[in-house]
Amino acid sequence: MRTIINSVRFVWVILALPALFQLHGWWTGAIDTMDMLHPTGETSARLMIAAMLIGPLAGVLGPRRWLLWLLARRRALGVAAFGYAVLHLVFYAIDMGSLDAILGELPIASIWTGWLALALMLPMALTSNQRSMLWLRTAWKRVQQLAYPAAVLTLLHWWWVHDGATAAVAHFAPLAFLWLLLALRRLRPIRPSPQAGV
Amino acid sequence: MRSLFIAAAFGLASATALSLSAPAEATGKVKCQAGPQSGWKNVEALKAQLVREGWKVTKAKVDGGCYEVYGVLPTGEKVEAYFHPVSFEKLYVAQRGKVLFRKQGY
Repeated sequence: MRTIINSVRFVWVILALPALFQLHGWWTGAIDTMDMLHPTGETSARLMIAAMLIGPLAGVLGPRRWLLWLLARRRALGVAAFGYAVLHLVFYAIDMGSLDAILGELPIASIWTGWLALALMLPMALTSNQRSMLWLRTAWKRVQQLAYPAAVLTLLHWWWVHDGATAAVAHFAPLAFLWLLLALRRLRPIRPSPQAGV
Repeated sequence: MRSLFIAAAFGLASATALSLSAPAEATGKVKCQAGPQSGWKNVEALKAQLVREGWKVTKAKVDGGCYEVYGVLPTGEKVEAYFHPVSFEKLYVAQRGKVLFRKQGY
């Protein structure tokens, strides 16, 4: 059982499950094309948040076995987030029906933020492999740090496209909470230990 | 103990996040005080009226006590719109969250 859970394939199967359910629903006609936009986008955002939570969580809680397990699979979460974002785009394109209609919506703030978030996720996804890591060396980390502006743009895209902040802000709240906690920890003055003496 | 507190606070933040995002039915964008549904006009009549006006109606449902319609305007914009279920008065129209029309008071 442990071997299955630790296998890379198992992680990919788990990550692919929501897409399988969503696509099955669409294929059988249970879900309309326009109703595919929300679940695919939300799954993408949730995976992105999950991938971004692991690092700060390890920073706050320290090295835990389950966190190390997740840390080793963080890259898969990020790539899956991109995959669901692409699926989101595919259904947006099908729903819109023409390039003219897609271009017509481009100036809307809620739409260009989504495009920009996807554009920032693309180099991250393309370099999420060992070969790129060796090739890019220190630049690799900078590429992966595009996750921060991509997350902000995703939040704005979600917020504005629904003309309401609740769901989007609620999803990003745990991440903001951890960042705040880490920032407070860095700001806290270092107290001398009682053993240090004067 | 401290990490337990952090984990509890994080868990609470995550649970709040999920509970706040769960109800996808009522968006709260527009609310209609239209009385019991027995007094409402049929949604099919609204769809037919909009088609006559040049709309393409994709979907219509009840949201916030109003009729919420997804469709395409005669001018080509894909929109989400709210109508009063008794008078069929247009209350709100938005294109991907960009508000194109909002009736005063709604």
